[in-house]
Amino acid sequence: MSKSLEHSFVELLEKHQNIVHKVCRLYTNNQAAHNDLFQEVTIQLWKAYPKFRGDSKFSTWMYRVALNTAITLYRKSTRRVKTQAFDAVQFKIKAEEYDRTEEQQLKLMYQAIHELNDIEKALVLLYLEDKNYNEISETLGITEVNARVKMNRVKKKLKTILNP
Amino acid sequence: MDELELLKKDWQKNDGRYPKLSYDEIYRMILKRSSSIVKWIFIISLLEFIFWTVISFFLKDNEGMKRFQELDTDMVMIPLAVIGYGILAYFFYLFFRNYKRISATDSAKVLMENILKTRKTVKQYVAFNLIYLVVSVIVVLCVEFKMDQQLISQVNEAATNGEAFKFYATFILIVAGMLILIIGVLLLFYWLIYGILLKRLNKNYKELKRLEA
Repeated sequence: MSKSLEHSFVELLEKHQNIVHKVCRLYTNNQAAHNDLFQEVTIQLWKAYPKFRGDSKFSTWMYRVALNTAITLYRKSTRRVKTQAFDAVQFKIKAEEYDRTEEQQLKLMYQAIHELNDIEKALVLLYLEDKNYNEISETLGITEVNARVKMNRVKKKLKTILNP
Repeated sequence: MDELELLKKDWQKNDGRYPKLSYDEIYRMILKRSSSIVKWIFIISLLEFIFWTVISFFLKDNEGMKRFQELDTDMVMIPLAVIGYGILAYFFYLFFRNYKRISATDSAKVLMENILKTRKTVKQYVAFNLIYLVVSVIVVLCVEFKMDQQLISQVNEAATNGEAFKFYATFILIVAGMLILIIGVLLLFYWLIYGILLKRLNKNYKELKRLEA
């Protein structure tokens, strides 16, 4: 692959690296796993980059590849611990910035999200990223109606996890 | 769901809190593809081994091989085979170890060292295969000249006609010619497969060195 291709790829990834960090944040439980997934996603993005034709936005394409990588690894992984506590340190959340109830609510929410399955996590990620249903459907390769239905189910599921 | 909206706000507020990797750090990550090249070197060496095992299995029914097997050559051929397989197994282990080390490291320095090691291992592997081929052919010929009655009678016949030198010279020329041809084909094969992989590995090595400088 040519130098200019490498250069443009690394520049784009440097600019949009938060997307990969966000995917890693939802699919991993600790810093080491976060770093591993970040590296794996980077390699997969690089492998897929020559086929990126610019039909969709670079960021949309990145979400798609990153989520696919995370989902594939998540399915392969036997090491994951479903109920492992959310590691607040990892995300550098400063407790003093929240009032106690809000902080507690957020912590429970993150824990609940970690209990969702791989596809549900992808939906939540795109929802948190404030993507509209058209973008969600494009990224996940499902219909808009399907995306809405699935998102509603996820909301219900989160409610059940939070209020058993 | 209120909690989800609260989470959305928090999520977006965290945008600036993720680690910021530099251009060079990301570039190093894509150079990690070295690990997939080394993985392929390991896989191809195994496939090559399987290929030659299958070929030798089919050659077993060949008349020449049958005649050779009828000779009492176990004392020579078994140690030769054991040494050959032993060294091959050691090379597979080295290839696998290189692959594991390369895929497990994040350090550019270790990556570079392992790329150099892999390159050295591949060169030694190719040299071993070629030397082993030549040694095996010489050993087989010595055995044939000592034990194959058909060949011994041909030698004796040539000697009685005063053509022993001509017989040996022709024999050696034919064997050497065939060996050169086979080595040429093997070298071409190694150059095509391992050469291309090593070239890519080399490119990664140079890039890493440039980044380290």
